[in-house]
Amino acid sequence: MTSLRLIARASAIAAAATLAFQVQAAEPIRIGVPVGLSGANSVVAPAVVQSSQLAVDEINSSGGILGRKVELEIVDDASGAVGAQKAFDTLVFQKKVDAIIAMETSAARNAALPIVARGKVPYIYTSFYEGRSCSPWMLVNGWVPEQQVAPVVDYFAKSKGAKSFFLVGSDYSFGRGMLDFTKKYIEQHGGKVVGEEYLPMDGSDWTAIISKIRAAHPDALISATAGGAPNVSLAKQLKAAGLAQPYGNLAIDEGTAKTMGDVATGMYLSASYLTSIDIPENVRFIDGMKKKFGAELKTPNELSAPQYEAIYLYKAAVEKAGSTDSAKVMKTLGEVSYTGPRGPVQMNKSRHTPLSMRLGQVQGDGSIKILETFANVDPGMQCPSAK
Amino acid sequence: MVFLLDWLTTAAMLFIVTAGLMMIFGVMKIVNFAHGALLTLGGYASFVVTQLRLDPWLSWPLALLAGVVVGCVVEAVIVRPLYKRPLDAILATWGLGIVIGQLIVIAFGRGVQFVDAPLQGTWSIAGLPYSAYRLVLIPVALGLCALLTGLLNGTRFGVKTRAVIMNEELARGLGIHSGRIRFVTFALGAGIGTLAGALITPLSSVDPDMGLPWLVGAFMLVMVSGHSMLSLLVTCLVFGACQVLVSTYLSPVLGGLTIAVLAALMLRIRPQGFAHG
Amino acid sequence: MADVHTATLQTAPAPARQGPAKARGLLLLGLAGIALIAFGPWIFGTYLLNILIKAFFFAIVAVTVDMLWGYTGYLTFGQSAFFGLGAYAAGLVFTHAGFSISTALAALGLAIAGTALVGALVGWLSFYRGASPFFATVISLVLPIVLTQLLLSGGAWTGSSSGLTGYETFDLPLEAWYWIAGTALALVALLGWLIVRSDAGRVLTAIRDNESRCTYLGIRTSQVKIILLSATAVVAGLAGFGYGSFSGVVAPELSGFVLGTEFIIWVALGGRGTLWGPLLGAVLISVVSAYLSSSMPFAWQLVLGCAFVFVIVLLPQGLVPLLLRPLHRSGPGAFEPALIERIARPQTGRPAAAPALVLQGVAKHYGHLKVLQGIDLAAEEGQLVGLIGPNGAGKTTLMRCMSDGAERTAGGVNLCGHDIRTLPPEECVRFGLGRKFQNANIFDTLTVAACLRIAGTILERPSLFTRSPTLALPSYALEVVRTTGLAGKLSAVAKDLSHGEQQALELAMVLALEPKVVLLDEPTAGLTKTERTQIGRILSSLALHHGLCCLLVEHDLDFVQEIATRIVVLHQGLIVMQGSFEEVVHSDLVKTIYAGSAHAAPEAA
Repeated sequence: MTSLRLIARASAIAAAATLAFQVQAAEPIRIGVPVGLSGANSVVAPAVVQSSQLAVDEINSSGGILGRKVELEIVDDASGAVGAQKAFDTLVFQKKVDAIIAMETSAARNAALPIVARGKVPYIYTSFYEGRSCSPWMLVNGWVPEQQVAPVVDYFAKSKGAKSFFLVGSDYSFGRGMLDFTKKYIEQHGGKVVGEEYLPMDGSDWTAIISKIRAAHPDALISATAGGAPNVSLAKQLKAAGLAQPYGNLAIDEGTAKTMGDVATGMYLSASYLTSIDIPENVRFIDGMKKKFGAELKTPNELSAPQYEAIYLYKAAVEKAGSTDSAKVMKTLGEVSYTGPRGPVQMNKSRHTPLSMRLGQVQGDGSIKILETFANVDPGMQCPSAK
Repeated sequence: MVFLLDWLTTAAMLFIVTAGLMMIFGVMKIVNFAHGALLTLGGYASFVVTQLRLDPWLSWPLALLAGVVVGCVVEAVIVRPLYKRPLDAILATWGLGIVIGQLIVIAFGRGVQFVDAPLQGTWSIAGLPYSAYRLVLIPVALGLCALLTGLLNGTRFGVKTRAVIMNEELARGLGIHSGRIRFVTFALGAGIGTLAGALITPLSSVDPDMGLPWLVGAFMLVMVSGHSMLSLLVTCLVFGACQVLVSTYLSPVLGGLTIAVLAALMLRIRPQGFAHG
Repeated sequence: MADVHTATLQTAPAPARQGPAKARGLLLLGLAGIALIAFGPWIFGTYLLNILIKAFFFAIVAVTVDMLWGYTGYLTFGQSAFFGLGAYAAGLVFTHAGFSISTALAALGLAIAGTALVGALVGWLSFYRGASPFFATVISLVLPIVLTQLLLSGGAWTGSSSGLTGYETFDLPLEAWYWIAGTALALVALLGWLIVRSDAGRVLTAIRDNESRCTYLGIRTSQVKIILLSATAVVAGLAGFGYGSFSGVVAPELSGFVLGTEFIIWVALGGRGTLWGPLLGAVLISVVSAYLSSSMPFAWQLVLGCAFVFVIVLLPQGLVPLLLRPLHRSGPGAFEPALIERIARPQTGRPAAAPALVLQGVAKHYGHLKVLQGIDLAAEEGQLVGLIGPNGAGKTTLMRCMSDGAERTAGGVNLCGHDIRTLPPEECVRFGLGRKFQNANIFDTLTVAACLRIAGTILERPSLFTRSPTLALPSYALEVVRTTGLAGKLSAVAKDLSHGEQQALELAMVLALEPKVVLLDEPTAGLTKTERTQIGRILSSLALHHGLCCLLVEHDLDFVQEIATRIVVLHQGLIVMQGSFEEVVHSDLVKTIYAGSAHAAPEAA
């Protein structure tokens, strides 16, 4: 009798446990993607959404993460601080996502960090930015100035003999941060900065600044504007004004360059991702994108490729941790690595990742010719207080 | 020299953008707050021309047509019931601007679009390369001013319109159909607004919010400039100079403010603005 | 009981007296609101609480916008600027000086002082004498734009486009913030409600309906508006301070033009001039937007835009009152005070021998056009002077010169011994002047009682929070009210009165001022024979028994003959004759002026 009851009890417990596990297994893992469907980032956002969807599709068709399906929650953050607050609030408190993987403007990122900390949600920041942003809940797989600026400046100084530089940017943390670093780098390497001008983030009338550039006669021009309209209008107006200096754009991406047509021809850029990168992972990635999206494909870019990789990094981290528990995942995220379209990525350097950087120039047909590749560039000590 | 060119081209741009608003305000004493959305509409008209791979010069008449059509509808449905409530007319047209903006987003998406410029490259003025398209705007603005002044002063329609501007009651008493005049004026003003959007597009980019920054500046200029196209031209020259000066020598951010602040101060001191007497 | 809504709906057709049923409805609404605020944290989830807290802060600003626009008629896009100032006060101080009790108090002080100062400045700029409401709206438009640009150009100090984030702030749980925000909103709403239904609050509506009449009742409307603007600026700033402290993020969007227009949209949709309509509108729209903006962002904005246009064009009173109308039934019993007599104040501060009205060499030119030239006129108390002359002689211009110091081009005007210099009408009225206009110049949407009470504003300061149960009028005003039957119509809305009753009301209002000099512009225009006789009797008794000096412009010579003690004839801007009625009527000069020749009616031949 007793043994029967024991067996009954044991099987009941086992049944309950399996049931519970089933229920848990059935519940999907939700990844929040707040993105600039409107506002300054609306040019690059569609590509980011597409690469996220490809990653999730691929992961789901090979069994999901820990047997659970992955779902995306895509929310508009209007590319700004207030909109990001709303988006992150929605994702963290209403939709209760397991992780947030997204690119953001610096304003939005700064506004979002307190929310992520309050909600204790792992946040992988997939955008390049001006550096030095640290939070125990955020890891970065985009590049920082230490990785991106050097190739451009060095190339101008060495191959173009440039000694004087003019810096133009949008007046916000990214613009100022990038150009601050650029100025220091230029001066450390013997160059001179003859002008540094900013417009507000949504400004698109560069007339006065262009006149100043004209007056200063710099050997080279470097810009760090907000993405989208400011980037485009600056390039257009520079071309229209007939200014012909070598022009390095720290904030341009391939897709935008292509749509700009011959306005972008000759522009120099330094990126961790270009569609012309010739490694098998990138070829597979682009093939996958073409197959899934066909005619609707938006050119993968400097923001969408890290997004793709970040989702895979998250998968690896959850599998290593054995659960989606935030604290555990944050720990393992810093330990796992993934080889994606950009090459190997591992967020183990001060919460940032070493990257391979490529210096390219926009050609007449819109493609980017890779002039030089630098492997494994160190991001430097971005977060001194992180272990 | 660069300053001179910056100044003249800026003034030309201001005039082109403001002319449509001026027509409507002068006759109807209503500020059409949908003007920003009309500018955006014009920008998208250019975009459509680019998409259809037509000659970029076609964007001008297309924009004009689109504006006139929209203007007709708006005048009949929204503006006419609000003749007696000018403050409410500001609000209703602002709401209309939101609606037009959202319709554009639904139709074209929120992304930033590219438009082919009818004229590319630079021209050399006194040895200085300057954007050709910007320079072209100067004769365009002058032409527009001449055309509108001619319309208002030299045609029967113009005479009737000026009568309505001066004293609507009296004009009605004399048999002038002021309702029709208002209708035509609004449609024309809207059309010029859309045309202006198409005209300024090659210099920046096309996105659903492109018209908004111009709205308040245009509004202030209209308040300050009195009633004739010529006085508007003068106002644009003066304020354009101030804006370029402040942008160049102080900061571009403050430059954006110049028009609004100066206009407000001016209205405080001299409420009739640049009007004669 | 409450007749708030009958008085303050600007364009709705005269709504039924909504009396006790309305008040009960409001009470229920209020109780429901308080319950939601008290029990919210147990009913709502974290996300909704978050949204509601922000919505409450926005609703506070919406209430201020309604007080300015719905009640006082000042369309303002600028309240967002004050909101942003308050938010940035918090953000700036906490970012650059850290967070502690003393810095929090400093930030609060900065928010209050900053907004009060800017509000007063904007008020001074917008509400000067002769300013058009349009101009005031323009300034309110420029304010947020200027502020946003200043914030954008502040570099690292203000955070420029990114704003300020991550600063340390009050460490309170979400529920505490909810209660704070909710209570603040309830307090502001209650305060606002008390003020707008009080006697002083009626002055705001009066200003909206007819500002000119207010100035001619001696009310310093510019001052009132400036004070109101400063006060609402501080309230909006405090709401912003709360928002900035709560959210931990301040960005230029919080002070911008777009947010300013959103407030207007909420107030318009909610129902301008109702206070609770905008409150509900703001909260509901904020909450719905938060939920819908992720699922159907474009469509929702489109719906809002269309609804806004629809409401402005077709339903100016807003949606919320419309939706709640089935819950009301009309009933009697709008608030009616009791009439009592006020003892006319003694004649102090006036040299006994000084005449009531003296004009010396008064002239008025428009460029080369001389409307008035060299007018010398004197009138004593107890006199009833009739001013006659053909149309275009300058009679109304002369009246204007007597009542508004800025009107005349030359000469001097003395009222009861005071030189009016270039003072505006409200100051002239305070010297003892009353002016009755030709067209009944009253407050259309206010009741008869409210009109009369406002007329006495400079004599009896109306209470800011309560409604006095009595209405005191000087004896001659009481006489007017009683003889013309207005005493039985105290709760009638002024717009609904007959032409004659409106004229009588305006006369009573002017008399409520206890003026020494009364200017009347064609008081008999459009009156029936009976009404004319009544007015005539009243005017004579004013001069004879109460010692007022009356000056009336008239065309009805029979009327003038009955009551005037003296006639002045004006022709082409000059006084051509003064004398008794007999002298004037039989003079050849006057006949020529009126009839073109000296040949008068047959009996004179």
